[in-house]
Amino acid sequence: MSTETPTVPAVQADERLAYRGPIQRLLTRPEIGGLIGAGSIWIFFWSVSDVFGTTAGINNYLDVATSLGIMAIAVALLMIGGEFDLSSGAMTGATGMLVVLLVKDTGELGGLGLPLTVAIPITFLFAMGVGWINGTLVEKTGLPSFIVTLGTFFVLRGAKLGFSKLFVDKVIVEGLDDAPDYDFWVNIFGAVWIRNDHLWDSFLGGRDLVFGVLAAIGATAIVVGFMELSLVRRTEAGSMPSVRSAFALLIGLVAGFGGLIYLTQTDGVADNWTGALVMAVGAILAIYGYSSWRFEPFSGSSGGVSMGGQNGRRALIGIGLIVVGTLLGVVMDSSNTDVLGLLLTVQGLRAILFGGCVIVGVLILLGAAQRSDTSPVNRFVLTALAGLSVAGVGFVIQAEAASRKYRAEFFAWMMAAAVLLVTIAIVRISFDQRRHADEPADRFGTLVSISGIVVFLMAIATKLLWATSIELVESRAIITYRISILYFFVFAGVATWILMRTKFGSWTFAVGGNKGASRQVGVPAARTKTQLFMVVSGASWLVGTLIAFRLNSVQANVGDGQEFFYIIAAVVGGNLLTGGYGSAAGAAIGALIMAMSFQGIPFAGWNSDWRFLFVGVILLLAVMVNNYVRGRAEKST
Amino acid sequence: MIKMRWVALLAALTLVVAACGGDDDTTDTPETTAAPDTTQGTQAPATTEAVTPTQSMDYTFHMVTHSDDGVFWSVVKRGAQDAADALGVEMVWSPSSNDPEKQVQDVQAAVASGSDGIGVSLANPEALGPEVEAAIAAGIPVITLNSGSNQFKELGAITHVGQTEVVAGNGAGERFNALGAGKVLCAQQEQGNIGLEERCQGLEETFNGEVVTQFVGLDSEPEAQINTIAAALQADADIDGVLGVGPNVAVRAVEAGNQAGRDLFIGGFDISGDLISAIDAGNVHFTVDQQQYLQGYLTVVFLFLNATNLNTVGGGLPVLTGPGFVTTDNVGEVAALVEAGTR
Amino acid sequence: MSEPALLEIEGISKFYGNIIALRDITTSVRAGEVTCVLGDNGAGKSTFIKILAGAHKQSEGRLFVEGEEVSFDSPRDALALGIATVYQDLAVVPLMSVWRNFFLGAEPTKWGPLKVIDREKAASIAKEELAKMGIDIRDTEQSVGTLSGGERQSVAIARAAYFGAKVLILDEPTSALGVKQSGVVLRYIVEARNRGLGVIFITHNPHHAYPVGDRFMILNRGQSLGDYAKAELTQPELTQLMAGGADLEALQHELSKAIGG
Repeated sequence: MSTETPTVPAVQADERLAYRGPIQRLLTRPEIGGLIGAGSIWIFFWSVSDVFGTTAGINNYLDVATSLGIMAIAVALLMIGGEFDLSSGAMTGATGMLVVLLVKDTGELGGLGLPLTVAIPITFLFAMGVGWINGTLVEKTGLPSFIVTLGTFFVLRGAKLGFSKLFVDKVIVEGLDDAPDYDFWVNIFGAVWIRNDHLWDSFLGGRDLVFGVLAAIGATAIVVGFMELSLVRRTEAGSMPSVRSAFALLIGLVAGFGGLIYLTQTDGVADNWTGALVMAVGAILAIYGYSSWRFEPFSGSSGGVSMGGQNGRRALIGIGLIVVGTLLGVVMDSSNTDVLGLLLTVQGLRAILFGGCVIVGVLILLGAAQRSDTSPVNRFVLTALAGLSVAGVGFVIQAEAASRKYRAEFFAWMMAAAVLLVTIAIVRISFDQRRHADEPADRFGTLVSISGIVVFLMAIATKLLWATSIELVESRAIITYRISILYFFVFAGVATWILMRTKFGSWTFAVGGNKGASRQVGVPAARTKTQLFMVVSGASWLVGTLIAFRLNSVQANVGDGQEFFYIIAAVVGGNLLTGGYGSAAGAAIGALIMAMSFQGIPFAGWNSDWRFLFVGVILLLAVMVNNYVRGRAEKST
Repeated sequence: MIKMRWVALLAALTLVVAACGGDDDTTDTPETTAAPDTTQGTQAPATTEAVTPTQSMDYTFHMVTHSDDGVFWSVVKRGAQDAADALGVEMVWSPSSNDPEKQVQDVQAAVASGSDGIGVSLANPEALGPEVEAAIAAGIPVITLNSGSNQFKELGAITHVGQTEVVAGNGAGERFNALGAGKVLCAQQEQGNIGLEERCQGLEETFNGEVVTQFVGLDSEPEAQINTIAAALQADADIDGVLGVGPNVAVRAVEAGNQAGRDLFIGGFDISGDLISAIDAGNVHFTVDQQQYLQGYLTVVFLFLNATNLNTVGGGLPVLTGPGFVTTDNVGEVAALVEAGTR
Repeated sequence: MSEPALLEIEGISKFYGNIIALRDITTSVRAGEVTCVLGDNGAGKSTFIKILAGAHKQSEGRLFVEGEEVSFDSPRDALALGIATVYQDLAVVPLMSVWRNFFLGAEPTKWGPLKVIDREKAASIAKEELAKMGIDIRDTEQSVGTLSGGERQSVAIARAAYFGAKVLILDEPTSALGVKQSGVVLRYIVEARNRGLGVIFITHNPHHAYPVGDRFMILNRGQSLGDYAKAELTQPELTQLMAGGADLEALQHELSKAIGG
């Protein structure tokens, strides 16, 4: 924070600029569309497949997302920089093949039989060279990168086939493990970690309890953080809470956590209901206690409840849809698995009608609440109604469901959503919305919500990495995490950080956004772009090497044609085809979306003929959502 | 000698009727045959008296396939090349990497260049049928190979060299019966390839249990193949067998089985080094070998015999090159041939 | 005439082959003064800018910066001597935030070789500097694309001023803007002048030039129609000079006849 404030013409505020808090800003990040998409697809396949949501399932599509994702991130960086690399797919195969060819001690290459310690750096230099050539050609000729790298693509494709035929007289080169130092390098590029070896059944009271507590702490922190970011602090914020607030906070915390623990430890219908209700009431109480201590109470005029007019009609339609959906869900025969049409069973139709009606109904209610800005009471009533509807539907599902998946897990999530909605309703009518920046509150809120998100992610990791003996009996799958997943996550993090925080990242955005302007102010545009091409070929090298270590052999056509999926993943993750806008984390999410859509189909047991139809629809939806988000990012000020 | 005359006459007649003056190498023919004046047709025998195909051994045969230059097709190409070398003719190899449009264009190009015979794989009969008919109408003999056993006859091709995919699938089904599998996943590495569909159909015909057919990802995305097979296995606990309708898929199925923690009966199609080692190690139980070297070799030989001697092989039936089976019993001998690149 | 002018242009000509783009142009800009270069399309304005910005080299004539003769081989050389050029369409990267644009190409970094941008420093300096120009950007994180056209030009002007420009060359900063937005930009030009910068303001609009300018140089078909101090010229005279004097009178006459007739 700058200490010396210059004589700013006393907030000569432009009346067109509304206050835009950190939350609103967060909602215009390019990753948001992708996150929503990933969440929806996950829930969709989770609900139609028994395996998709389990650790075995997640491990499966994470593995597919890894190669795709590492490449998509690199390709996204290049796309932000305003260029394409169509040779990136063929490059993965080329580097993988090269490393195997170099270590082979047979074939016409004359039994080079290099150790991997030499072969891997050579391959890396080769990759850097190809990237440099791509970048330099694009810059020197001024031709579109689309054309230049298409040329490189064909060159690589031909070279892969030609050289493998020439050297080993086959289109597949095998035998990476012949290398003398294979045993060392396999730890770096081919290591696996087998989760089934790690059983801590009763450690800290069991996995589900740890998960539940971590998730609850995380969620609490996120809620607190968001409240700090969006509400007005009391002037005497540091003071002690009033007796009433303290009491509500205390009772609420105890009840909330108690209910949660009870919920995770039991599986009976009545037990679940009790646990959920106690937890919900506790959570609402605690949040109310906290916020009445910290924040300014509502000061504006409330206006009455008016259910007339357009909003009233909307609310009625929403409620009607929820009721109809619920009735359909209860009435339709859930055991009927007859196939109705192309893909649908009666069961599936029921799920779609039920889910569709309820989701649309809740969204309409929330939309109506959002529109009733003039009447906070209306907003309160509508939001609370939406929350209660979610709770009601949750209870219906819980009573109806045959599997534990719906009865316990889904129910818990729906209760959490309901509590959240009701809390939002209460908080928004009871406290003042902040309409100006408040440095300490913003800082504290950001810190708390980020720690909340971290804890929440830890909770999810717990669930994924910690096997219980029951699960191991249930599924015979041996869950192996490959080291490539680690590379994927690290690369996603590093690339995001580079883009957001470093000079190079800033220049990447600049050369893609307006090359002329950035050159004008001294950004070395050509160098930046060439480096971006080298990042892509470097990523290809990593992926190619990982594939070689995994399969021990590389076929000449590996990776050919994949470059389009990299670009699609980047676009799905919110990167702009025209450059200058996007995110690396978004590309990683995009890769996850692609992997989930591809792998979800066999998990659901569907006919694979529909695979590309599905991918096409997802691509279109993603692009539309992104367009919408970006539109808001540019407009909202 | 009299016989040869007849051959020459017939050859000339076909050329004239087809009104095609394509071949640059048989320098004597074009004068008359390319003449647009069709009324002279009846006089043709007299004017082409001098033409004998044996005058020039400089034949060019086109092999227009949907080859992706992968493990399988490189052996076909090797067979075709070996035959061409042995016969002293030219062989042009036009792979299209499963792109029907490119294949159509390659056929057109072969026709335009005045080919002496075209070997074509009918992976996509709808797209290629008209082109094949056009080529035959232009007087160029055509033999289908690999894919197209059901269509070659109606299109007018001399014969088909390959295995009928359904019969091969039948063989695989019987193998699975013998192994005692209950439910088999028929894993495809391409979408919309009729040959692969037929292999799965054939499996379904003879296999006693249930068959699930699924596309599991292209050969160019090996990791996706592993995970997709694993996903299918996890989604259905009853599956205890996988038939990979290509050599790579079968090897991927081994790892998918490990990943899903399942003991599987695995069968494959065709041969690759990896697949041979997997059979040797007992991870894959058998592979259906269509001996694709023959498909390349015989096609060229048959085209040559047709061009030089007007032989038509097959008598309206396909010439089958398979199915042969490679199992743990014979894997050793086959492995040596694979290493040599002819199996 | 005690201290030398910031930038003096003496007898500059530019030939492209046998085409004469500029012939014998002489003018100057002093600290705290605005020199307006007026001219219609094709008058040679862009050639003039490119020579001053170092993108092209003059064929004849000499340039002096603070009394010293100089020769530019690249835009970098010009920038190093404190001559910054703001092009109309190349001013900013619209999808990037205000502070990133402000510091683009010269980001303050920390952590040594990692070249991590010091965001807080950059954001606060950007806000401060813009405030000095009288632009109140509430949130420097917002993308420049959300600013109005005038504000975008102003961000570029403020940036040039902050990075030590002594002479600011503005290429048609108002040509694509509405009346009100042009006013905003003109105000920032005055602001820059008041801070002691020399400004070369290139425009084809005498109504924009006259209120802010101290000197006027009119270009027509590559030649100078004169270099006047403000005292020597009234706005109507300037307008008339700019439009080619007698030509305009004839045109007006014709027009009035057409309308009246």
